[in-house]
Amino acid sequence: MNLDWLDAFLIYGFFTIVVVSGLGLLLHLQLGLARIANFGVVGFFGIGMYSFGVLYVKVDWPFGDPWQFLVCIAAGTLAAGLSGVVVGWLVGDLNEDGVLVGTLGFATAVFILATTEKELTGGAQGMGGLQFPYDVGGVKANELLWLVITAAVVGGIVFYVWRVHRSPYGRLLVAVGSNEPLARSLGKPTFRTKLWLFAVTSAGMGLLGAMYGVMERFLRPTNLGVDITLAAMVALVLGGSARVWGAVVGVVLTVGFFDIIVQNYLPVPVEWYSQALPVMREALFGAALILVLMFRPFGILGDMRRDKLMRSLHGD
Amino acid sequence: MSETATPILEVRGLRSGYGGVTVLKGLDMDVGNEVFAVLGANGAGKTTLLATLARLIPLQGGTIRFRGNEVSGLPAFETAGRGVGYVPQEKGVFADLSVFENLCVGGMIGQRDRDERMAEVFGLFPDLAALRTQLAGTLSGGESRMLACGRALMQDPKLLLLDEPTAGLSPLYVDMFFEKVREIRATRGVSIILAEQNATKALAVADRVMVLSLGEAFLTEETGSLTTEKLKQGYRI
Ligand SMILES: Nc1ncnc2c1ncn2[C@@H]1O[C@H](COP(=O)(O)OP(=O)(O)O)[C@@H](O)[C@H]1O
Ligand SMILES: [Mg+2]
Repeated sequence: MNLDWLDAFLIYGFFTIVVVSGLGLLLHLQLGLARIANFGVVGFFGIGMYSFGVLYVKVDWPFGDPWQFLVCIAAGTLAAGLSGVVVGWLVGDLNEDGVLVGTLGFATAVFILATTEKELTGGAQGMGGLQFPYDVGGVKANELLWLVITAAVVGGIVFYVWRVHRSPYGRLLVAVGSNEPLARSLGKPTFRTKLWLFAVTSAGMGLLGAMYGVMERFLRPTNLGVDITLAAMVALVLGGSARVWGAVVGVVLTVGFFDIIVQNYLPVPVEWYSQALPVMREALFGAALILVLMFRPFGILGDMRRDKLMRSLHGD
Repeated sequence: MSETATPILEVRGLRSGYGGVTVLKGLDMDVGNEVFAVLGANGAGKTTLLATLARLIPLQGGTIRFRGNEVSGLPAFETAGRGVGYVPQEKGVFADLSVFENLCVGGMIGQRDRDERMAEVFGLFPDLAALRTQLAGTLSGGESRMLACGRALMQDPKLLLLDEPTAGLSPLYVDMFFEKVREIRATRGVSIILAEQNATKALAVADRVMVLSLGEAFLTEETGSLTTEKLKQGYRI
């Protein structure tokens, strides 16, 4: 198979699309169903990334890869899930503003910890020593395989979200998001439902963070910029927060456009890559978010179509 | 109420309100296997009372016993789990869920087969059956009230709290709804607390009536012995 056309930039472009789609899908469960606006996505992403990285690099494991790798990635996922329970417990009963401030504050705390805990994380310099748990011959082949594995994980997330939409649990999430006081008189503990949602989605975000770290092979606090949260949020809002595919379509349109089309196929001056492009990227995402909220508040995929889903499932 | 040994609901010295404001100032009431109407002018505290009984508003004092057990300290979801169905005055449905899904979430608790319960609700409100795939947020006022009521019935409640189920509806709907209340009472034997402003309609379905005035029970009487004169006094203040 000739893979010459697939250069490192393109692999990274696709990888970013896949990871942000995954984050967007998990955010969809929080925001699209339960109406919890989590502005700290990158915090959970970072907990997973750094827990995995620190455990993998700094701990003397009695066994090698792939077990060391798998144990560490499971631990990173778990750590993110637990942080989700804590954050969920803290913000669970707050209103939208409280949730916004709480989750944003959490992400900032993670960023600061990653920067200041130099012993563990290498601080702003970053931390190397991460590697793929396999070697299939050459950097490109390894990265390509990691892209495929990550895509499979995100495929699993798509399937999970798809199932939640059709499950009593998903209905309860929408009920809680739609009318929380009323949901409390349904006979199910809504606070626990929200905690569980936070645990599962945060664990997923942490897993994606760890997988992102593996692809980078080098962890820096700059990996935890607000642009990750922004990209997931823009994608979700652009695609339509209430639809399963909204996040994926939104990511392809935003991250896909920028990280693949602009960076690979437009004749952009080389000196733009370090400074101008990242800034343009954030500006573009911000502008897209504002435009969508102004003109198509339900995203370009249209309004919520759960009634259509219901018709196909239970209609006559 | 004379026919029942222990009342299903015993309220003693109930105080409740919002923040520092006390709306209900020491209320006593017993509800048996009956339709118990709570009358009173706007702002008398009917909604506050029902929301407190549903445990959505914290108590400031007093006790609530439901089927012999103290429930004053329980969260709303446990009270619902024990058999209190609540239909609030406003926002009684989940706007983002379809009619079918609203009934599903209503039926998440309860022992009996869900489809069986749903068939009963559709039997009671045939209009809902035709709307089952429609989003609840797009229903008309009357349809929405029917769905709210159906949703609560899906829980197979022992006590149903109905907060002004006909407020703002057209006269046709109002008559239909009171007919439904009678039907629910006859077929399910569930105790009903019905908050109403429309005294005439409420008295026609209720066994007993309590008139709330400034957060206190002005009177509690059998419907038959209530005179217009007494009723007017309750409303006057
Ligand atoms: N959320 C609230 N916060 C503060 N006061 C409230 C609130 N809801 C109602 N009240 C006050 O409580 C009193 C009783 O209101 P309510 O129980 O709604 O009466 P009713 O249902 O009989 O019309 C009124 O004086 C009203 O202004
Ligand atoms: Mg009221």
